[in-house]
Amino acid sequence: MSGSGSRRHPLARVAVAGVAATRQARSLDGNSVQICLEAARAALDDAGLSLDDVDGISARWPGPGGTVFHPGSVDWSALLGKGFDWVGDTYPQGAPGLLDAAGAILAGQCSTVLVFGGRAGESGVGASGGQAVASYTRPDNEFTACWGSLTAAQFALVAQVYVHRFAPDPERMALVPATIRNAGSANPAAVMYGRGPYRPADVLASPPVAEPFRLLDLCLATEGAAAMVVTSLERARDCPSAPVVVLGGGSEWYRQQYVDPPRYDDVARVGSGAYRRSFGMAGLAPEDVDVFELYDINTFEVIRQFETLGFCAEGEGVDYLAEAGIGLDGRHPTNTDGGLLAYSHVGWGGPTLKIVEAVRQIRGTAGPSQVPGTEVALVTGAGSGAQYHNAVLLGSDR
Amino acid sequence: MTQPPDRADRALTGEFWSSIDRGVLLRPVCTRCARSFFTPQVVCPHCGCEQWSYEPSEGRGTIYSFTVVHRPPDPPFAAPYVLAIVDMTEGWSLLTWIVDCPPSEVQVGMAVQVRFVPGPDGALLPAFAPCPTAEGAAEAAA
Repeated sequence: MSGSGSRRHPLARVAVAGVAATRQARSLDGNSVQICLEAARAALDDAGLSLDDVDGISARWPGPGGTVFHPGSVDWSALLGKGFDWVGDTYPQGAPGLLDAAGAILAGQCSTVLVFGGRAGESGVGASGGQAVASYTRPDNEFTACWGSLTAAQFALVAQVYVHRFAPDPERMALVPATIRNAGSANPAAVMYGRGPYRPADVLASPPVAEPFRLLDLCLATEGAAAMVVTSLERARDCPSAPVVVLGGGSEWYRQQYVDPPRYDDVARVGSGAYRRSFGMAGLAPEDVDVFELYDINTFEVIRQFETLGFCAEGEGVDYLAEAGIGLDGRHPTNTDGGLLAYSHVGWGGPTLKIVEAVRQIRGTAGPSQVPGTEVALVTGAGSGAQYHNAVLLGSDR
Repeated sequence: MTQPPDRADRALTGEFWSSIDRGVLLRPVCTRCARSFFTPQVVCPHCGCEQWSYEPSEGRGTIYSFTVVHRPPDPPFAAPYVLAIVDMTEGWSLLTWIVDCPPSEVQVGMAVQVRFVPGPDGALLPAFAPCPTAEGAAEAAA
């Protein structure tokens, strides 16, 4: 790390002490409460802590059971047999979940927060015999749902303008999902493990879903859970695993998702402010990031985020990434676990999977996907089609 | 659980939908700044004025963006269909369908006009179709 402890932003007094991901699959037996609990317990084990050490919780109650009262995270108190000093229903998890927990700790509201989410036993089979579209991918608004819109289509409305204006080379553009999918194919924990290798031609030959997106441009909708334990850096230093420091982070909310349709000219650079603030807190520049765990809900979003980070000009992202490389051996190793495209995507709890992978990369325990010498990782969430974005920078305690 | 209100009875948007049922496209127009906006809001998002009213739209615009959907989220939607953002001449825009045009011929910037079509539940929706070209109009007149 280039920055000494004294120059760091106050956020860097908070660390991730434990992480865990359960098995991820197209569908899992059991229910969402069970899978969430499994992830939470495993993250506590990873941190060497017990439930007695936890005084804050951020984990929207997924059901079954519980009430309709808010905050839903309080529903966990009955099951876990303990109360909390702080609860947060942060939506989504991942970067915002971590930042809210860090804020509560820094504000003296609690000392150790368990953040977790996921789903199981919910993936129905559609009437046509195929997999039903996950409910969270079907926008429910009177000016959106009536048209048969879906998450992929909302993002496609943004990507289509980009393609129209900049006419990126399709083969080079398809190299982005092919590379990330190859990372997932090599990750034994990934839902798409062993399904590769993928070439750009495979992406271009997959069936269209919502133009310009084809099937292999789009993320999974799978089941599983993820969890993290957030506490003070001081306390994390006493835990068995190397602490991972929260160097900076931020969110940006342009509009509510899936109400007014996303316009490229409004949302193409959503997240630029969150990035600026995050890097400012960390005293770092995008060039300092060793590993990128970006929200790869589709091909275009990965390209858009590199452009928004300032690595290249608008419209040049496809060529830039083809030359720089986003594989494990590239200049910008990206979504080293296979990302949402090939590892797993479990709804609003899913972004925490990216924190799990970033923490493992910084600890040096990422197994076959390890990028040697990783000290700084960027984790992002959401994107242009949803009209909000968020980021967190994580680093080693050195 | 109470049933959700019929669309014509919705507090803020009932007038919009009941007018669609009669084949008339309305838009919220601010009484003070005279600007249009969409989706309907309690106050004008341009100037904050609480007084606005639904006024008829001339129903013409251009395609800002579109996507051909090949895999619908629910069975009632028959793919492929064209989702689009249409920028209206009066300065507002909406999510809609492009109809009466082969999906492969839809283009960004294409001039379109409103055409009321039944949605999956049979109720009318304000979709858009390409404006007849000057040539096409001349042929039709001949």
